[in-house]
Amino acid sequence: MQRISYLVLAAVCLSAQAHIASAVTLHATGSTTVLPVVSTAAAAYHRQHPDVSITVSGGGSGVGIASMIQHTADIGMASREIDAEEAAKLNGKVDVFTIAKDAVAVVVSKAVYVGGVHQLSLRQIADIYRGKIKNWKALGGPDARIFVIDKEASRGTRHVFAEAVLGDAHARAPGASVISGSNNEEQALVAHSDQAIGMLSNAWLNDDVRGIAVGKGNKAIFPDIEHVRDSSYPISRSLHILLSKKGPPEARDFANFLLSPEGQAIVKKSGYLPVR
Amino acid sequence: MLNLWMRTSALISLIVVVLMLGFLLQQSWPYWQHDGLSPLLSGDWYPYEHLFGLAAAIIGSFWAALIALAIAIPTGLAAAVMSTEILSGPWRSLMRSGMELLAGIPSVVYGLLGLWILLPFLQSNLHLLTGHNLLAAGLLLSIMVLPTIMVMTQDALCEVSIHQRDTAASLGMGWSTRLWRVLLPQAWPGIRSGILLALGRALGETMAVMLVVGSMDRIPDPWYNLLAPAQTLTSRIGREIGESAFGSMHFSALMACGLLLALITITISMLAHIRTDKVKT
Repeated sequence: MQRISYLVLAAVCLSAQAHIASAVTLHATGSTTVLPVVSTAAAAYHRQHPDVSITVSGGGSGVGIASMIQHTADIGMASREIDAEEAAKLNGKVDVFTIAKDAVAVVVSKAVYVGGVHQLSLRQIADIYRGKIKNWKALGGPDARIFVIDKEASRGTRHVFAEAVLGDAHARAPGASVISGSNNEEQALVAHSDQAIGMLSNAWLNDDVRGIAVGKGNKAIFPDIEHVRDSSYPISRSLHILLSKKGPPEARDFANFLLSPEGQAIVKKSGYLPVR
Repeated sequence: MLNLWMRTSALISLIVVVLMLGFLLQQSWPYWQHDGLSPLLSGDWYPYEHLFGLAAAIIGSFWAALIALAIAIPTGLAAAVMSTEILSGPWRSLMRSGMELLAGIPSVVYGLLGLWILLPFLQSNLHLLTGHNLLAAGLLLSIMVLPTIMVMTQDALCEVSIHQRDTAASLGMGWSTRLWRVLLPQAWPGIRSGILLALGRALGETMAVMLVVGSMDRIPDPWYNLLAPAQTLTSRIGREIGESAFGSMHFSALMACGLLLALITITISMLAHIRTDKVKT
């Protein structure tokens, strides 16, 4: 009798252990542009694989890439390419999966848009960020000073924007009035002002935060999915997730899920251009 | 046994402080070695150009703390005098628990309130491009350090003995003379500690300040311009520590900010204690 109860006890312990071993928690961190896709996909993936949970946090592309260098997360999210310095530190130990394409919109407050500013050339945008143009009136808009919102140096949106507009991903922006962080923060700043200009992924536009057309030659191109698809919008980029080559197999499976038709549907629903 | 236990805990806290300073010094060493003390005077902070000037953040930190104290000292003193000397039992405890409640609110809540209420208010009333500035940071901090000053002052006032109060009254002193000549001078060591602790907290506060200060690395121009976005040491660390790779010069420079903050706050709290001891003996 006693022997049987020992056996039962052992079986219970083993099954408990097996259960614990099969429950995996993955952590994803980085770009707040990629975040909505990954967190929606994480919930969908968890429904299919109840033993795998994925926690998601923001911080910016720089944080996502740094988390791969420092092994502080299983999945890194980045809305820009890895630069040379980071690539040296990663030393080929990371796989990059491109899951979507996206436009970095030049956004203005609703009042500015309604006031007449519907398009700017790259040159004009650069002059605003360099502090050479300070009033919307000079650009055909309302007589109001320009509230220039720059982003933290680590943000992918900032890299892509500065590279396209100012010619260098790390260029200084002496015309900036304030530094923002996440897409949410940027969106709130633009929405609360009547005279702001900023940079934001096109999936985050709304009635208060309007994307303007960017002039290229004598054509003005609006930041929407169609112009990302035909590569005519000048400030576009790819969205990536990063996985350590030695990372858990579940992370790799999740990356494949993002590239599957179901994952790509989530990409589309989030407002980005699917890659497949 | 109790004695041994107390000594051990004192020793442990001492070791933790020394270890922490040692770690900060070790991590920031490449930075000091590379640039010496010259970055303390430069305002240019461009990590990608390897420029790590600390002046803008240091000045910003002190401005925000000064504004906070300029508001919190008079209001905190007044609130403490009101509640200990004028109000009676239930009102007094209501006021005290109100203050303690104020002290218990997490700083991120203050930050968000600042973001939603204070910034739009400053922006529309002062006709600014944005409400993000040192004034906003100082105003938020003043509410956050108010409980420290008020509670410490209250305790100090309560410690003024009944004997001294009676003597003052029997000399025929009026209420305001008693307040200025007897109560506040007698309670001063405690009040002073409260102010210094509040200063320490104001300098060290991160989250609330980070949300409202604007995070622009610019030295106020002119020096008293508190209505432009600026930077503090804590907000810089909060914004950038995640992206800086461990061991890089950028990381080392952020650790240098941390070391400066730690040294300043430790000095301040030591000052707070030294003064109290001297007067007591």
